[in-house]
Amino acid sequence: MTPERIAELVARWVRFYTRKLPTPIARRRVDEIDADLHDQIAHERAHGTSDRRIALSILSRMVRGLAADASWRGEHSTPEKAMKSHKIVLAAAFILSLPLLAMLLTDSVAWGPGDFALAGALLVGIGLAFQVAARNAGNTAYRIAVGVALAAALLLVWVNLSLGIIGETGDPADLMYGGVLVVGIIGAVIARFQPQGMARALLATALATAVVAVIALIAGKHQAPISSVWEILGLNGIFVALFIASALLFRRAALKRPRVDVS
Amino acid sequence: MPRRKPGTLLPLETEILGLALSMLRSGHATFHGFGLAQSMREQTGSRSLTGHGTLYKALSRLEEFGLLSSRWEDAPTAEGRPRRRLYELTAHGADVAERALADTAEQATAPSRRPAPKLA
Repeated sequence: MTPERIAELVARWVRFYTRKLPTPIARRRVDEIDADLHDQIAHERAHGTSDRRIALSILSRMVRGLAADASWRGEHSTPEKAMKSHKIVLAAAFILSLPLLAMLLTDSVAWGPGDFALAGALLVGIGLAFQVAARNAGNTAYRIAVGVALAAALLLVWVNLSLGIIGETGDPADLMYGGVLVVGIIGAVIARFQPQGMARALLATALATAVVAVIALIAGKHQAPISSVWEILGLNGIFVALFIASALLFRRAALKRPRVDVS
Repeated sequence: MPRRKPGTLLPLETEILGLALSMLRSGHATFHGFGLAQSMREQTGSRSLTGHGTLYKALSRLEEFGLLSSRWEDAPTAEGRPRRRLYELTAHGADVAERALADTAEQATAPSRRPAPKLA
C-alpha cells in the first residue's frame, strides 16, 4: 500500500462523484484534490512519515469526507440523483455505526480504522453499483435480481473478512471465494449486463460456490475444530441459494422484456 | 455533522475563517487546501487532517457566502507540481472572522450557550 496508489484511489473516487456534473465544477474539484494529495505526500515524506502511515492518512481523509462529498454533489446535481447518493452514504454510515456501537458495549468486537475504511468502501461501492444498475434497469425483476446478487456478494466478502467460511479465520482456503466473485464479474461483463446472460452468470457463480464447498470437504476442512460438514454445507448453501435466486429473477426479467419488432 | 441554521456558520467554517484571518495578519494573504488542513491539525493538536470532502465543501460554502475568494495559482509558480487553488479572505469575510473570533473569546471567558456566528 503506497501513498501513490491510495492517492490514485482517491482520484478515482473524485472522478466518480463528479461525473455528469458541469465540467468547470467537476474539473475544479478534481484538480484541487489532485494538488492536495500531491502536497500531502510531499509534506509528510519531507517530515519523515512512513509511506504506510501517509497512505492510511489519505485513505482516512477520503473515508471521513464521503458524506460531505455526497452532500456536495447533491448541491450541484439534480435533486433526484443527489438524494439517492446521499441515502447510500447514510445507509453505509448507519451500518458502520453498528460495529462502532458494539465496540462500546463489548470487547469482543475490535475494528480498526482499516476495517471501517474497507467496510465503508465496500458498502458505498455496492450501493453505488446498485444505483447505476437500478437506473438502467428495464423492470422490477431486474432491479431485485441485481440487489440480491450484490447483497450476496457483499455478504460473502464480509463473512470471509470477519470470520472466514472455511476453517478458522484467515484460512487460505477462503481465498477460493475470490474466484467465485471473479466468475460472477467476468460472467456479467460477457453478458453485458443483459438479463438472459446475467441469469447464466449467476448460475455459474452458484456452481462455483458449490465447487468451493466440495473442494473444502475433499481437502478435509470439515475436520477443523470450528467448521463441521454441516457448517460448510450450510454456509455455502445460503450463498448458492442467493445466487440461484438472483439467476431466476434475471431469467424472469428476460421473459418480461418487450420483443423488438425488426420487420 | 452539525445542522446549519440559515444565516449562520458551522464550527469548521468559523475555524477556517479564524485561521485565514490569522494568516492574513501574519502577512500570508492566500492559503491552499492542504496548507489549511495542516494548519488546522497543528492548531487543534489533532492527529488527523480534515477529510477531503469536509474541507473542500466548507471552502466552497464560504466562497458562495462571499467570505472567501479563490483563483488558480500561476503555472510557473507551481514548478511542475499540480497547481493549487489559492483562497483569500474577502473584506466581508475578514469582518465576519473578526466577529467570530471576538464571540469565541467572549464565550471562553463566560461559558454559556451562545448562538453560532451570523453572516451579516
